[in-house]
Amino acid sequence: MRLGMFFREALRSIRANAAISVAATVTALIAVFILGAFIPSFMYVRSAVSAQTSKVDVDVYISDTASVKQVNALRDKIGTLKTDGQVAEFTYVSKDDALRLMRERLRDPSVLDQLPSNPLPAKFNIQPTDPANANAIVAAVKDDAALDPTEGIVYPQTTADRLLTAAKFVQWAGFALIGILLVAAVLLIGNTIRLSIFARRREVEVMRLVGATNWFIRWPFMIEGVICGLVGAVVAVAMLWGIKVGVVDAWASGADTALTKSGSTAGAIAFPLLTVVLVGAGALLGAVGSGITLRRFLRI
Amino acid sequence: MARIDDDIHHADSTQRAFTLVEVRPEPVPADLAVVTPPSSEKRRRGDVFRPGPGPMVQFQGVIKRYDGDVRGLDGVSVSIAAGEFVFLVGQSGSGKSTFIRLCIRELRATSGHVIIGGRDLGELRRSKVPYLRRAIGCVFQDFRLLPDRTASENVAYALQVTGHSRQEVNRRVPEILALVGLDGKGDRLPRELSGGEQQRVSIARALVNQPRLLIADEPTGNLDPDTSQGIMDLLTRINRTGTTVLVATHDRDTVDRMQQRVIALHKGRIVRDAEGGYNEDPGDTGEIA
Repeated sequence: MRLGMFFREALRSIRANAAISVAATVTALIAVFILGAFIPSFMYVRSAVSAQTSKVDVDVYISDTASVKQVNALRDKIGTLKTDGQVAEFTYVSKDDALRLMRERLRDPSVLDQLPSNPLPAKFNIQPTDPANANAIVAAVKDDAALDPTEGIVYPQTTADRLLTAAKFVQWAGFALIGILLVAAVLLIGNTIRLSIFARRREVEVMRLVGATNWFIRWPFMIEGVICGLVGAVVAVAMLWGIKVGVVDAWASGADTALTKSGSTAGAIAFPLLTVVLVGAGALLGAVGSGITLRRFLRI
Repeated sequence: MARIDDDIHHADSTQRAFTLVEVRPEPVPADLAVVTPPSSEKRRRGDVFRPGPGPMVQFQGVIKRYDGDVRGLDGVSVSIAAGEFVFLVGQSGSGKSTFIRLCIRELRATSGHVIIGGRDLGELRRSKVPYLRRAIGCVFQDFRLLPDRTASENVAYALQVTGHSRQEVNRRVPEILALVGLDGKGDRLPRELSGGEQQRVSIARALVNQPRLLIADEPTGNLDPDTSQGIMDLLTRINRTGTTVLVATHDRDTVDRMQQRVIALHKGRIVRDAEGGYNEDPGDTGEIA
């Protein structure tokens, strides 16, 4: 009964202050739209970076002259690193395996038939638990007797380092930006609602005069804020949906670029979830914005 | 109850309702409600401000200073008993408004005690102020109606605030509007009503929660003499049901005509407190005029 009355009061005040209500709604729309465009972009970049990062592996090539004993010793060394938790997985790739893989990769495998003998060395392919461990792994095995003197150890050090830096940067910059956006949105909506309350300062005064408690006055304003936030969020989500279907999906299916391949779709946020998050954010923005702003007007 | 029906019955003709005042019907019991008492009120403990026995309004050495050492009230002690009709007179700046705003805790006394219905407002927690205000009806010179609400909705708001059901609101609002002589005008917006009618709406709003104390700050300040007369008659009628009425005004004619208790303020001090007209002895308090 009370909630119904507060709701009717909120609708009345939206109608009575149409211009300000529209302003608040548009503010929410812009805030949610920016947030909604930014969150998937951020998630995409992050998943692209982490997809690249997981590809950083270390190849330890084994000399053709190494004895079985030496190779077993190296295997044990890497096994110890795995027990320590630095290595996630490692596999032995024999000379034959290496040749077979090469054969699969080549468009015309017949060229390999020309070879008098198998020139490819055997290797251990090591996947670090974290790309940051790569250097430690390399340091642990680099002086091993079984190592191939010419090939040695191959791993994309600079790529790994750059990716690590990029991943950290993307993460922190992303969170910072989302935080700033949220604060800005709350301030913007609060400011718009302040206009609305300022326009009705006398009305609030009268309400207090007839003995309305602060919450009795506050509820309709909060509901008003939530309605504006929700409507803004829904429109923003609709616009984002249009952009996703019309632009992003078309681009992703049409172009076969490195970027679309590297960003896993699993890492990107699902649209229904994004919708829920954004609509929730819109409602919260409206409620918090009006709640904070009202406090100033309800003192005595 | 019979008396209530009587009132509503007479109120459909404003003029007849006011003849009641002139013929001075027999006094009604002090606690008789103006309209049907609330039946389905949900009230939490401590939410109700009930005036106790003793004076309705009591000021004990009240001093109110504004910023910059401006004195609103400068040591006022006065007592108003339940059921009295009192005029508070004085020029603008004499402290009338300060007096009234102290009564509804819009202001707090710098020192001294403001006691309403036995409760010292200095000790009233801020969260309890709304409940004090529900126990006091307030009427102002500028009516203070909600501009985008009809007369009925304005009165209804005061009932909604106290948590009345919609049925109760729908029942009591027409009753009270009829009582103040606004039968059939409930659907008008304030701007569609005359000044006198707007003031009647604000009186209806002040009355609808059956306050034991009605405070009016220059209720006739914006009205012509005839309309003022009607408003003052209405206030007299309300007083006759046992409601304490305190009217701040500088309308000499009205005060002279009514011959009630007059508290005269000048520069924040009480200079006269007696029954009679605005200024019975010009030689004594000439500076007030």
